[in-house]
Amino acid sequence: MTRHFGVLALLVGTALAAGATTRTASVGAPGKHAVDTCTACHAELDDQRFRVPATFAKSDADVHHLQGITCAGCHGGDPSSDDPDTAMNPATGFVGRFAARAIPEMCASCHADASFMLRYGPNIPTDQLDQYRTSRHGQALSRGDTRVATCISCHGAHGVLPAGDARSPVYPSRIVETCGHCHGDAALMQRYGVSGREPADYKRSVHYAALTQRNDLSAPTCNDCHGSHGATPPGVSSISNVCGSCHVTQRERFDLSPHKDAFAALEQPACETCHSNHAVVHPDDHWMGVGPDQVCGQCHGGDDAGAQAATAIAATLAASRAGLEAATGRVDRVERAGMLMDEARVALEEAHQAYVLAQAEIHTVDPAAVGAQTDQVRTGFDAAGRLAADAEAEIRFRRTGLFVSLGVIALAMVALFLKVRQLER
Amino acid sequence: MTDDAAVSRSSRRSFVNWLLGTTVGATAAAALYPVFRFVIPPKVAEAPVNRVLAVKLSELPPNSGKVFRFGAKPGIVVRTAAGDVRAFSATCTHLNCTVQYRPDFQHIWCACHNGHYDLQGKNIEGPPPRPLETFRVDVAGDDVYVTRGA
Amino acid sequence: MMDIARRLWQALDERLQLQPLIEFAADKEVPQHRHSWAYYFGGLTLFFLGVQVVTGILLLLYYRPTAEAAFESVQFIVTRVPFGWLIRSIHSWSANLMVLAAVAHMVSVFLLGAYAKPRELTWWSGIALLGLALGFGFSGYLLPWNELSFFATRIGTDMVSKVPLVGHWLLIFLRGGEEVTGATLTRFFGLHVAVLPMITAGFVGIHLALIQRQGMHVPERLAEEARRRRPLRFIPNFVLREAIVWLAGLAALAALAAFLPWELGVKADPFAPAPAGIKPEWYFLFMFETLKLLPAHVLGIEGELVGLAVFTVAGLAWFLIPVLDRGAAAGRRSRVVLFAGLAALAAVLLVTGLSLAGVLS
Repeated sequence: MTRHFGVLALLVGTALAAGATTRTASVGAPGKHAVDTCTACHAELDDQRFRVPATFAKSDADVHHLQGITCAGCHGGDPSSDDPDTAMNPATGFVGRFAARAIPEMCASCHADASFMLRYGPNIPTDQLDQYRTSRHGQALSRGDTRVATCISCHGAHGVLPAGDARSPVYPSRIVETCGHCHGDAALMQRYGVSGREPADYKRSVHYAALTQRNDLSAPTCNDCHGSHGATPPGVSSISNVCGSCHVTQRERFDLSPHKDAFAALEQPACETCHSNHAVVHPDDHWMGVGPDQVCGQCHGGDDAGAQAATAIAATLAASRAGLEAATGRVDRVERAGMLMDEARVALEEAHQAYVLAQAEIHTVDPAAVGAQTDQVRTGFDAAGRLAADAEAEIRFRRTGLFVSLGVIALAMVALFLKVRQLER
Repeated sequence: MTDDAAVSRSSRRSFVNWLLGTTVGATAAAALYPVFRFVIPPKVAEAPVNRVLAVKLSELPPNSGKVFRFGAKPGIVVRTAAGDVRAFSATCTHLNCTVQYRPDFQHIWCACHNGHYDLQGKNIEGPPPRPLETFRVDVAGDDVYVTRGA
Repeated sequence: MMDIARRLWQALDERLQLQPLIEFAADKEVPQHRHSWAYYFGGLTLFFLGVQVVTGILLLLYYRPTAEAAFESVQFIVTRVPFGWLIRSIHSWSANLMVLAAVAHMVSVFLLGAYAKPRELTWWSGIALLGLALGFGFSGYLLPWNELSFFATRIGTDMVSKVPLVGHWLLIFLRGGEEVTGATLTRFFGLHVAVLPMITAGFVGIHLALIQRQGMHVPERLAEEARRRRPLRFIPNFVLREAIVWLAGLAALAALAAFLPWELGVKADPFAPAPAGIKPEWYFLFMFETLKLLPAHVLGIEGELVGLAVFTVAGLAWFLIPVLDRGAAAGRRSRVVLFAGLAALAAVLLVTGLSLAGVLS
């Protein structure tokens, strides 16, 4: 019996995979079945592989069940019968376990049908299968590699939740774990020429920190750069576009720089070269320069124009930073002593803003552009320094004034002493 | 006692009295002057912590904005094209640059990394992770007062 | 001008019979002996108290006693109000000098044996005044609501919870809740500007009235010298000398305000960790350090409890000195009391000094 069942399943599965992309109105149609014997029987089974899927029928943890698409909606069969042979009869379209190659088309039988999906929402995308077919996963699958991801690898087979539900494996903050199931397995990945370190690298990045610690759902995760269904690593030419879609200011400046054409000629990725692609950590001003640990030194060295520019930029940034820190410390000290430093704080804010802009200008690799901003930084912290000096002078002036009053008091004491002596003569 | 000694005695006494009067008077003045200045309230009667006069309405045409200060912190008051007056914290929620109003976008923009905020203060584009804090606006005649929550 | 003054005086005198008062003041004398310089300490304490009242009232014109506004209002006083920095610095320093003068006064009274009968009430009202001064210091310290004052108050009020039976209730009463919050600030403010001043005014009145009634004490061993040397007339001789001392106090305040101005600090943040090395003000240091030095358990009882018990007993003994040293009234002061008192004072001085020098943490 089982053997026949298995063969039939394979046949039906192949048939499904081979052709049909749309599901005709048959057993799989939506609408709550008046009788759902699948759940009733499977919930009583001991083997958890068969029991667990049934538990989703009554919970809110599966979007298909919530919308009335129950077991038969994907697996076929006759849910109104409580006789297993009838209910799970391949003649009625039953498929017990789908082959990996069958899965994308099976899901797409509804999800690629625009008019069908419109019942569930006005803007639900229906291009997932097309995108998937362009992806490395889709291409590998079509060549017969069944180890790659299919729909259920990321979305699950049972207990499927929308991407916006925090419990879903494709919720933004959980995606790196989902992709990481395979992409973090070095042994598996090396067979495809990929290191398998990428998820771990990504977890060191500012993007991951923003996503998980600051709950900033706009921070990019795997699918934001690689695509959700058309998962292909961004090619060399497209990296700037990916990063530049959020980091517009830096991209604009990079495009004005000599690096743009140079990197293209060298077939060198743009942003990734300095910032890395997965372990995108917070940039540090110390990266500027041609030293062994410094980013520019990867290509530049000695006396070449790039090295000079890098050194000049590094120097001007360091000088600004030092000046800003010194001025801030001075203002802090004076403020703690009790002087009003609002104007100085404003000057420091302006200096800080100019410094942030200077850091963006780095991407032009033009010391003059960076210098224009660091000049503003200097203006700001010079102003703050002057105001702090004024306040310090005021403190000294007060000290002098009190010193004078001490003199007056001393004189009064002398006068009193003389009076006492006079009275007692 | 000779007449001379008596005269010098009395002149010394009047000198001592004079010295006493003058120095004690000077001390009293030195003590009372600060007290007197202290009790007269300063020009800015209250610490401008939570409420400031941000701008004059006549200096804020529709579709314009102006950065003002809450003590040391920047705020921005915006008059929409429709004539509504709104006020927000001007500290960008990304890296603390000061935002500005862009009449061409008709919304708020941050020059540092191209962050955009709509006229509700909500971050709509670019790196800012959070909206700008909204302040209360009270218009009294030509005066626009902005109050920050406490 | 003098004529008007004389007529005014006459009018008052007819209604109030001020003549006996004038005679009393004119006849009042202050004995002179080797240690009569100590007589100035009491007046000096009163001078500093007066400075506190005046500067305190001035600060009240601008201060706001809520957690949200307290620090900002002090910042306002210190940065925007003309001479606000001076009034505030003087108020903070005069508090310390007042306690110092009060302690010097108390120690000199102890050494001269002036607590003896009939002056027991004066001693007891004086101890109450010292306690009130410490209460003023403790409550006032919180009012600027900066980091140091917040944590010092937290530690200080923690101590009272160690008192057996009523400790926790005392803590809640002082703090206005379980933790140090804005409620604590409001409560301390009320104590500092209303409750304590009222009680202090009462006790100062009693203390001064007693002194006028009973005159100055001369120790038995100095009585001969006092008889030999002419006593000073209170008005104008003693008053003029006292004015010199008070001006010296004023000069000290001006010097301290000029060279060691009181810092504004950083606004209190209840959620920040306590800064390292937090200590109460110097007049509480001897208790604070001693309690820290005690082992966790002494003979099975919690170390801090033992410490508190010792301090309570010692404080009670100090209070009861006029009773413990009954012989002093007859000129036979107890050597035990004298040496015990000196030893206690030396210990307090030592611990305080070591703590200030940074030898004790």
